[in-house]
Amino acid sequence: MTRKAIEVKELNFSYPDGRKALVDINLDVYEGEALGVIGPNGAGKSTFLLHLNGILRGNSKIKILGIEMENKSLPQIRSRAGLLFQDSENQLFMPTVFEDVAFGPLNMDLSKDEVEVVVKEALKEVDMLDYIYHHPHHLSFGEKRRIALATVLAMKPKILLLDEPTSNVDPKHRRDLINFLKELDNLTKVIATHDLELVFEVCSRVALLDQGRLITSGNPLEILKDKTLLAAHSLEVPRWLSS
Amino acid sequence: MKHTFIDQYSHKESLLHKIDPRIKVISFLVFILFVISTPKDSFLKFGLYGVLIIGLILFSKISPWSIFKRSLVVIPFTLMIFLFIPFFKEGVVMGTFFLGPLRLEVTYEGLQILGNSLAKAYLSVLCMILLISSTKFSHLLKAVERLGLPKVMLLILSFMYRYIFVIYEEFLKMWQVKEARSVGGSRLFQIKALANMVGTLFIRTYERAENVYLAMCARGFDGNIRTIDNFQLRRGDVFFLLIMILSLMSVRLV
Ligand SMILES: Nc1ncnc2c1ncn2[C@@H]1O[C@H](COP(=O)(O)OP(=O)(O)O)[C@@H](O)[C@H]1O
Ligand SMILES: [Mg+2]
Repeated sequence: MTRKAIEVKELNFSYPDGRKALVDINLDVYEGEALGVIGPNGAGKSTFLLHLNGILRGNSKIKILGIEMENKSLPQIRSRAGLLFQDSENQLFMPTVFEDVAFGPLNMDLSKDEVEVVVKEALKEVDMLDYIYHHPHHLSFGEKRRIALATVLAMKPKILLLDEPTSNVDPKHRRDLINFLKELDNLTKVIATHDLELVFEVCSRVALLDQGRLITSGNPLEILKDKTLLAAHSLEVPRWLSS
Repeated sequence: MKHTFIDQYSHKESLLHKIDPRIKVISFLVFILFVISTPKDSFLKFGLYGVLIIGLILFSKISPWSIFKRSLVVIPFTLMIFLFIPFFKEGVVMGTFFLGPLRLEVTYEGLQILGNSLAKAYLSVLCMILLISSTKFSHLLKAVERLGLPKVMLLILSFMYRYIFVIYEEFLKMWQVKEARSVGGSRLFQIKALANMVGTLFIRTYERAENVYLAMCARGFDGNIRTIDNFQLRRGDVFFLLIMILSLMSVRLV
């Protein structure tokens, strides 16, 4: 029996302005599983992902790879669960791409040479090695997105938490990204996205969120084909699936 | 909307661009020290320092015109302060003006101070502009880090460099949206809109700061700043430093 990579019990969370963003979420993700998190805008997908790496802390028990989420286990958890934020502008904060990708590995106390190697590997994965000495500011949206992904990959996480990884990425690189995610089948993945094709190709399970509640979770094909269910939550069955 | 106003020319390739940033920072600081410690009546020396810096500018392959344009920015500030000095310094009267009931006397000592301050300020500014235009900002940051600037200051500076453009662009975008929607409208209305935009910008910037901090935490930031630097002193760098000091010394001894 495979182990649980992520264990979420009775997660409730409200933003400081009182808005309930997550209500009673119970969800387990097993090692090696790829969970697609879908739902309309404002469903709470991003909020949920932020909890899995300890950025937000609702009143709940969350376990990552068997480690209880507490203040003192945060460094451990963060080096194992890498989070791609929805907004790359905030995720790329150093003056050059190289320094940005190196930021995580340096915090893990890798040696200088090791850092160089992992940075280059990660940039190669996202096809951005040529931009290693550029300023993040001068890159396009999709390019920033790919670099942001590299910053996560460079930390060699066991769990990938991706918040809309394909938004604003051009078709070729979106395709590359999907194929790349498919290859990473030894990693546990949680992917929040509106890109249902990505979900269909990469994910082994889908969770549907709406208004902070977990509506259902299950087989991607079954959920993605369910017209009434999707329509009830401002989503629609993709054309290529309905025919 | 892309901006590079700080280190626009730092990607050129000249010998000056290739010098180790630490060496550049040190030699340009030494240059400034020499300039400001020059006695006030040695105009020949100011001239020679000028020749030296012009030589460096040519050497850097950055267009002298662009450096000149940038340097003009400081002139109004220096002038504002120094214009009054010729009138208020006591000494040999060179001329008298009447401004209505006001009687203004220009003194020789006053003029000397003006010339002296202007020369020093201008030379120093040229020097800083050249340093900044010939060095990538990220290298400059690392150089000052290696020279002992506290890491916190360093991080603040790098964030400034990273986000100044982002915030500026955010402002520009808001401005364009406003322009696109405003057809006429009174002046007071325009000012109100501007005030609103600045307010929004403050809130957004505050939230952004929070999010950047969280993004840092997500990648294992624990309050200690770790950086890599790959600077290596080569013979040319030391050579450059020595030549600079030698030239400065010889001007001093003229
Ligand atoms: N920083 C915040 N402060 C207050 N409310 C927020 C904040 N971030 C998100 N929300 C609210 O929480 C809800 C869930 O947001 P989010 O998790 O970003 O949704 P999704 O990623 O699914 O689009 C939304 O109603 C949103 O308006
Ligand atoms: Mg979101």
